Amino acid sequence: MIPLHSVCAMLETYITAYNNAVFDTDRDAALQVIAQALAAGHTPEEIVFELVIPAVEEMMAQLSRDLDANLAQHFMTAQIAAEVTEKMLEQFKQPPKTLGRVVIGTARGDLHSLGKRIVMGCLKTLMVEVRDLGVNVPAERFVEEAVAFDAQVIAISSMMVHTANGEQGCRKVRRLLREQQLENRFRVVVGGAPFRFDEQLYQAVGADDWAADGVSAGKVILRQIRELSP
Amino acid sequence: MMTSMEIVRAALQGNPAPRIPIFCNLLDQGAPELGMSQAEYYARGEHVACGQLALRTRYGYDNLWSLFYVGREAELLGCQEILFAEDGTPNVADYFLRTAKDIESFTIPEDITRHPVWQESARCLQVLRQESKGRFPICAYLTASTTLPALLMGMDKWLELALSGPDHLRAQLLGKCSEFFRKQVAAYREAGADLLLYSSPFGSSSFVGMRRFRAFSLPWMQRDLTGLGVEDLIYYCGTAPINPVIGEVMQHLGLRVFYPSPKDDLAVTKALVAGNGLTCGVIDDISMISWTPEQTRAEVERLCHIGMPGEHFLLGTAVMPMAVPEANIQAYMEAAFTFGSYR
Repeated sequence: MIPLHSVCAMLETYITAYNNAVFDTDRDAALQVIAQALAAGHTPEEIVFELVIPAVEEMMAQLSRDLDANLAQHFMTAQIAAEVTEKMLEQFKQPPKTLGRVVIGTARGDLHSLGKRIVMGCLKTLMVEVRDLGVNVPAERFVEEAVAFDAQVIAISSMMVHTANGEQGCRKVRRLLREQQLENRFRVVVGGAPFRFDEQLYQAVGADDWAADGVSAGKVILRQIRELSP
Repeated sequence: MMTSMEIVRAALQGNPAPRIPIFCNLLDQGAPELGMSQAEYYARGEHVACGQLALRTRYGYDNLWSLFYVGREAELLGCQEILFAEDGTPNVADYFLRTAKDIESFTIPEDITRHPVWQESARCLQVLRQESKGRFPICAYLTASTTLPALLMGMDKWLELALSGPDHLRAQLLGKCSEFFRKQVAAYREAGADLLLYSSPFGSSSFVGMRRFRAFSLPWMQRDLTGLGVEDLIYYCGTAPINPVIGEVMQHLGLRVFYPSPKDDLAVTKALVAGNGLTCGVIDDISMISWTPEQTRAEVERLCHIGMPGEHFLLGTAVMPMAVPEANIQAYMEAAFTFGSYR
């Protein structure tokens, strides 16, 4: 039997190799590391919980520290992690415990789906159940689906100023939550380019929190879930 | 008294002028200016030209736009639906390249100027030329080959293809987009555009990192631009930062006019471009939504203070959101004339 510290050291090596590949946006190299870890006898559960999730968390920290971090890295971090997690989950002996539920979509009038896709990839990897509402989502639907899915968080992505700041997006979701006395039940998180330019904008539109990019959105949403359901 | 066109040319060449050129990119504001819905306004080239002329007269800035909205190029290539909004920018609602087969079979029109969409743009340019009589530079917006696919298939699908292949499909699509870009350059010049904004977000290292910028973006930008002449081109990455790539863009593409992100450090941009070209100072017009007029004025003063020494400087906005209050547009213009004076 391999001693525990050796297993940990080996996983550390894989995490480093995996993250180097993801950081370099090299999907093939990242998948090769996963294949090597499996071949070395690590279980799908170990791959997800001890390799992919720590790697995503490390990547979140790395990308937030690195001023030169780029969109391609965020995209590949989420895509590869989601792809690996999905494959590994099929082989789990028992379905994993989910940490929470999120409904996500782009604001009414906004058809830009990239940010949403990055966030979804990260959330799935972090064992958060995600219901994708698609693009150009009316505020009423965000609220209805959040209730139906018993979500903790409503995540709204907006790449355009008028969809971030306008009356049909987050502002209306907040108004509906207030009118329906649902404000204590859900947290609202926003993201997208306009929020990066004006870091107070999320408050102005009635969101509880915001994320500067898709990868860190995973962390922000998870924090909101934990605050709501400790 | 120098015209706006002469002031812009002086800034480009580093010649004396009484003040800096002032650009203010108001696009969607044209429809309310003429009392029209966005869909009605953008249906006719005359409307866009009249909106541009009216807005320029109202505020007194130096440039005119022949751009309707960014998705216009997608319409020239097959997009059938644009989602209009009364409070903001139109979106492409029909990403018509959905499969590999779509990419393989889609073709660039032999003569884009015959397309009805182009003819409205040409009509807009014609009216702008007639009315401006060479006094104001007319700007056109052209998307680089590496970015245009995002308008045809959606950014996430394009990023997936760009980063993960298949290589032959990516190359095929980029080749077509580059061919289209080159045709557009010729068409816009022929129609009388004075300045061509080369919109290349994938030409920012914040999109793809420096390694991919060199291996992917730069070679395709070279292919876009080789042999075309770049004197009238402005390098712009859609408000993504450009400082890390300016040196290589100057060296390999020969571009001399840079329109950075408000997030770029203007002092660094200015130092990188130095006396070799024109630096644009770009105000953060998303923050202008919530700023007071005094804050707007202070930011214009700051940008002018950094950018004006050594001349070769222009002050501009990104694509001014409709939510920017009228008072802040006025404050921007008044401050630009005050602090942008060389006298």
